[in-house]
Amino acid sequence: MLSKQRARYAYFLILPALALITLLKLVPTVEAVLVSMQQQSMMRPNPEAFVGFAHYARALFEEEIFWGSLRRSAVWTLGSVAGSYIVGLSLALLLDREIRGRTAFRALLLVPWVIPDVATALLWKWLYGDQVGIINFLLVKFGLVTKPILFLADPALAMASVILVQVWKLYPVMFVVLLAALQNVPRELHEAAEIDGAGAWQRFRFVTFPFIRPTSVIITLLGAIWTFQNFDLVYLLTGGGPADATEVLPTLVFKKGFWALEIGYATAIGMLMLLCLVALSVAYLYAYRVAGQDKEGAAR
Amino acid sequence: MTQDDEMPALEIQALDGSGGSETRHGRIGRREALTLGLGGLFALSSSGVNAQGQTALTFWSVRLNTPELQLALKGILADFEKAHPTIKVTNEPVAGALVYPKFMAAVRGNAMPDIAEAYSYHPLQFAAADQMEPMDDIIEEWRASGQLANVTNDFAYKKFLWRDKYWGLPYNLDVRAIYYRKDLLEAKGIKPPKNWDEFQAAAIATNDPKAGVFGLAFPAGNFHITQHYYMAFMFQAGGSILDKDGNLIFGTKAKDANVRALTYLTDFVTKHKVTPEGVAAYNTDEPHTLFVQGRAAFCMGTGGLISRLMKEAPNLVDKVGILEVLEGPAGPAGKLTAGFYNPMFVWKHSPGKAAAKTFVRWFIQPGRMEPMYRAAPGQHWPIFKSDFNTARVQENRLLKEMLTNVVPYATDFAYPGLGRPEMGVIDGEKMFAAPVNEVVVGAKKPEQAVADAHNKMAQLFRA
Repeated sequence: MLSKQRARYAYFLILPALALITLLKLVPTVEAVLVSMQQQSMMRPNPEAFVGFAHYARALFEEEIFWGSLRRSAVWTLGSVAGSYIVGLSLALLLDREIRGRTAFRALLLVPWVIPDVATALLWKWLYGDQVGIINFLLVKFGLVTKPILFLADPALAMASVILVQVWKLYPVMFVVLLAALQNVPRELHEAAEIDGAGAWQRFRFVTFPFIRPTSVIITLLGAIWTFQNFDLVYLLTGGGPADATEVLPTLVFKKGFWALEIGYATAIGMLMLLCLVALSVAYLYAYRVAGQDKEGAAR
Repeated sequence: MTQDDEMPALEIQALDGSGGSETRHGRIGRREALTLGLGGLFALSSSGVNAQGQTALTFWSVRLNTPELQLALKGILADFEKAHPTIKVTNEPVAGALVYPKFMAAVRGNAMPDIAEAYSYHPLQFAAADQMEPMDDIIEEWRASGQLANVTNDFAYKKFLWRDKYWGLPYNLDVRAIYYRKDLLEAKGIKPPKNWDEFQAAAIATNDPKAGVFGLAFPAGNFHITQHYYMAFMFQAGGSILDKDGNLIFGTKAKDANVRALTYLTDFVTKHKVTPEGVAAYNTDEPHTLFVQGRAAFCMGTGGLISRLMKEAPNLVDKVGILEVLEGPAGPAGKLTAGFYNPMFVWKHSPGKAAAKTFVRWFIQPGRMEPMYRAAPGQHWPIFKSDFNTARVQENRLLKEMLTNVVPYATDFAYPGLGRPEMGVIDGEKMFAAPVNEVVVGAKKPEQAVADAHNKMAQLFRA
């Protein structure tokens, strides 16, 4: 009885937050579903004409650009998350040791995280420049290349170049979280493994990694969700070009919605994108639950 | 409610129908006072009248947002308010990249500004969404007063004519030009080119990689500016997007000319190799920067490059010239370049519509925007002939050359057709920047790129 009362009280307490979330999240989502089934266009004064699933059919079956953008979004997300995880983990392993200036390094490594996306994009655009960029200047100066590398102008390199920027932007999050996880790995296990003759790689694989695996799964899934919906970096660095080589779903939605003014169609693509994000979120929740069980198991 | 909760007795003067007044005594509580206050505020805001009894107007600006232009604009607005004490104009700058999101949210929220200035086809697009107030009355006034005859050319205002109504008024002109280094041409014994062949030969001759000088710098990225230069060559080849009746001919009747223009332009990169290799990622700034650094013999640039040269490379100014618009395969009839007559427009549902039109009438007058032209030389140009030959222009050689060599030939995307809302989408979606970008990176041949772009445009027109 008491617990029921307490539960009611708890629900009462979260009611304002729930109402706010419903208002700010659920209502726009329902509105978006409706808009995705309407012929909303700035080119017409009667925006509410119902078209059912026509926009979805157009995206999925009539225009190649959706599938191309989805494919590129997958590459962009996987590349960025994998890259930032490797960099973040490497730095976390390095700074988990007792080295001089560890605190200063930890603080410095967070800098990319606090720089706004717009500033990051402008900064890297300048760094990548073929004529005025410092990267090409140094590469040519030291004889590593004979002519500037077209980081953003070559369709074969553009995606890798924007992924590198996202890796730079995302690794601090990975680094901070993984460093925290590493600090929970019992030192005595390492010492025991070392006495048993385990090498550095074996110690990482059989001692460290099992402990940080739950955290790794969660942070990489979160990173995937953030990256998948990131718009600013790609749009500002390449505008989706050259020749659509970096056109990802968020830039496609923006173009269709705010340049082509086809709000209904853009919203339908947005909803399809949402489905992808829901899949990632479900995976995240599942991983979170499994991670919790793993931790409980480890604690026992 | 207790006695303590109630407000002290208030005397309320109520106006009777005859305009006289009678005094009524009564007590009102906090709730009534709050309701009255909110009601009053709502009445004031919805009627466009502020607390000082002035008609309050909101003016969104898209192209006047650099610090120097904002300063000049402030002065102009202060002059207006001095002359019209019953009207208060509040300027809200809107970032160029956020124009559509901002305007579309405003349309959806029924919160458009009373007045706005933005890109070429905005008033037509908003008219298509039934949001614009026709400007025919002001056009008629201009016609009667002779002001219409003072406008640079008919296309400047006729481009806003759609379904027999004018939805915007031109207030300034934004041009695209080819800048060149006089000293580099002289060193090679080359005269400023007048036509395509001469231009091509000059760009090849002045290309000097050892000296770090490119023959030509221009933007070929997937950005809006790219299509502006393609458009100029399109006209010069005898091509266009629309015919004079507003029908789409980009990949049909005009296909050969448009492919020819695209080939000519992209050949500078792919065949003659006289540009930086990275032009496929260039937006407006990169070619400007190379030219200001003295690393390009020719540069396709906006009028704003004059300001940059004056500020960042004053030593270079004397060595720079502006080419007369080139003559291409279409001969003198196609001697045109890109220029955008930018519009001001008024929201149909503005509560202060009359005051908004008063502002527009006052704002678009000869001589009115001179402080802005002084603030950023070359960036914007007047639309009135009488504003051209001012001392400001005559004293600045580059402005004078732009006025003589470029301004008279400036025209817009829709030419020779008149306004169509679809042109805003064609521009916005960068439908004819894509062919340049695709050909430069080797993803498509010019014929294919033009055909694909046409199909996209056709889909839009069909819709």
